[in-house]
Amino acid sequence: MVGFIIRRLLWTIPVLLLVILMTFLMMRQIEGNPFRRSERAVSPAVQRNLERKFNLDEPWYVQYALYVKGVATGDLGPSLVLRNQSVNDIVKEHFPKSLELGFLAMLFAIVFGIPLGVIAALRPNTVFDYGAMFFANVGFAVPSFLIATLLIYFFALQWGDIFGLPTSGWSTPQSKILPVIALGLGPMAYFARLVRGTMLETLQQDYVRTARAKGLSSRRILFVHVLKNSLTPAVTAAGPLLGFLITGSFIIEFIFAIPGIGKYYITAVSARDYSVVMGLTVLLSVIVVLANMVVDILYGVLDPRTREART
Amino acid sequence: MVVSPQEQRMRAPDPAHAGDFLGTGAGTPIQQSSLWRDAKRRYLRNKAAVVAASIFLIILAYCIIVPIISPYDPDEVNFDERFLPPSLEHPFGTDGFGRDLFTRVALGGRISIAIGFAATLAILVIGLTYGSISGFVGGWLDNAMMRFLDALYGLPYLPFAIITLAIVGTVNFWTMVIALSIASWFTAARIVRGQIITLKQNDYVRAATAVGARWFRILGRHLVPNTLGVLIIAIFLELPGVILGEAFLSFIGLGINPPDASWGSMAQEGRSVYRTHPILILIPSLAIATLVLSANFIADGLRDALDPRTKET
Repeated sequence: MVGFIIRRLLWTIPVLLLVILMTFLMMRQIEGNPFRRSERAVSPAVQRNLERKFNLDEPWYVQYALYVKGVATGDLGPSLVLRNQSVNDIVKEHFPKSLELGFLAMLFAIVFGIPLGVIAALRPNTVFDYGAMFFANVGFAVPSFLIATLLIYFFALQWGDIFGLPTSGWSTPQSKILPVIALGLGPMAYFARLVRGTMLETLQQDYVRTARAKGLSSRRILFVHVLKNSLTPAVTAAGPLLGFLITGSFIIEFIFAIPGIGKYYITAVSARDYSVVMGLTVLLSVIVVLANMVVDILYGVLDPRTREART
Repeated sequence: MVVSPQEQRMRAPDPAHAGDFLGTGAGTPIQQSSLWRDAKRRYLRNKAAVVAASIFLIILAYCIIVPIISPYDPDEVNFDERFLPPSLEHPFGTDGFGRDLFTRVALGGRISIAIGFAATLAILVIGLTYGSISGFVGGWLDNAMMRFLDALYGLPYLPFAIITLAIVGTVNFWTMVIALSIASWFTAARIVRGQIITLKQNDYVRAATAVGARWFRILGRHLVPNTLGVLIIAIFLELPGVILGEAFLSFIGLGINPPDASWGSMAQEGRSVYRTHPILILIPSLAIATLVLSANFIADGLRDALDPRTKET
């Protein structure tokens, strides 16, 4: 067990180096040096100094090593467009909002998605099941920008007098309700489908039949035997869901004008602030890699059979 | 369930592929054709999948036919007819430039669906190449290639798509295809590799090796054609993500530029007037949702039909 966790932790290091390398190499392919733009004509001497200051005169592998060193010490470098702002400042300012949005959306998805899946699985092929699954399928297919726009249209505008929800922002608790629902609906649908599937499978297991034969109450069977074992696979959903949340947060933050990472990413791309784009991409990638690691370890703890199959 | 002969023909396995299994090759034809016939039977039994396939075909037909027969010029600006509500002349109404939405949504659908299929194809080609090399060669190479995939697992495609668009500098059909496929092929590669590994254990592959068939013949003749089933499923598994990805990119203003329109860019245009004319964002978005939903159900149906051993979890 300890060996498994240590192996998994060590394996994460080359993965992180690789992911940073790929982002780094991709960013290098983008045309143009930030200090060579015509509107910022600088003398060759200043240009050389700038390049030296930002290590742009070093070969790429040295730049990469310096960048990795920066990432390891928690320094993502300076912003190329905003004077006196480092990427760290930008992360510090915008990331907590994205984190809160993602966390609340995930909470929403778990609180509503799991019961939905359980209800569907307990009454398979009934109106409940079809209703829940139709809802789940639609929740995953409708683009989040439509969900967000409809939520704003009805709850902030048409019925604004009743609900009194603002159309955008992230300052008051009321302003957080609509973005969280808009972002959480997809993951909620995902949870509902996943829980329904694994639960239907678990209900067929022999030990459930044994528990029934022993005369245990159906509530006890459901909570102690079925639900616990059905929720284990839901842990693996965290990987794809995290990607979904990140992608979704770009759209949701854009629509609700939430000053988070996703919205700032789009701003940075438009402003060609490549050190910020790269810093944020690395940050998001590192989060995904670390989340995968946590999921793998957690899964190894919960289900020992997977320890050897996964590194 | 009653299915008209016409519908049956429409949903028969692609005749181009059916021929592959009826022609040459001793021993194989009978078994192979019955595999596809079984798959068809199983698919047609699945009501949701049949409905989904019909809707999918209707949307395709709408996008192809309507711009041809429509009396309206999709780009002609007519300020007398701005924001008309839906009517008999304009089933979806008109947009802020007085253009007929029914025609424009069909045109936008052409671009969205074309990008969707092209990017899906790119994903499958990359995935097939990567997966079959990894699965066929095996050993340390397989190990290394799969570790590489593990490393990339779960990375969000949107930032990488945005960076790709920044690298190529321009946004057009092909750059969108590249951007959408560059960080989305990992699952396809994994599926293909799994299939190849399973197939490699089969007796007919060992027999082919035993009679001295060379590696490219085994790979090209026995292994890759047998991944066709999972590839067809994969088309409909990948398509929704790609179409939504295109819509997201266009919606945040990094996708297809006006006057060209995709469903995503039309939704973005509609977004600016959603308070007064919500229909302008509603219709392109619902078009995306309907297509994605039907593709999901088709994928489910195909999986049950072509690969009955695996069950959905």
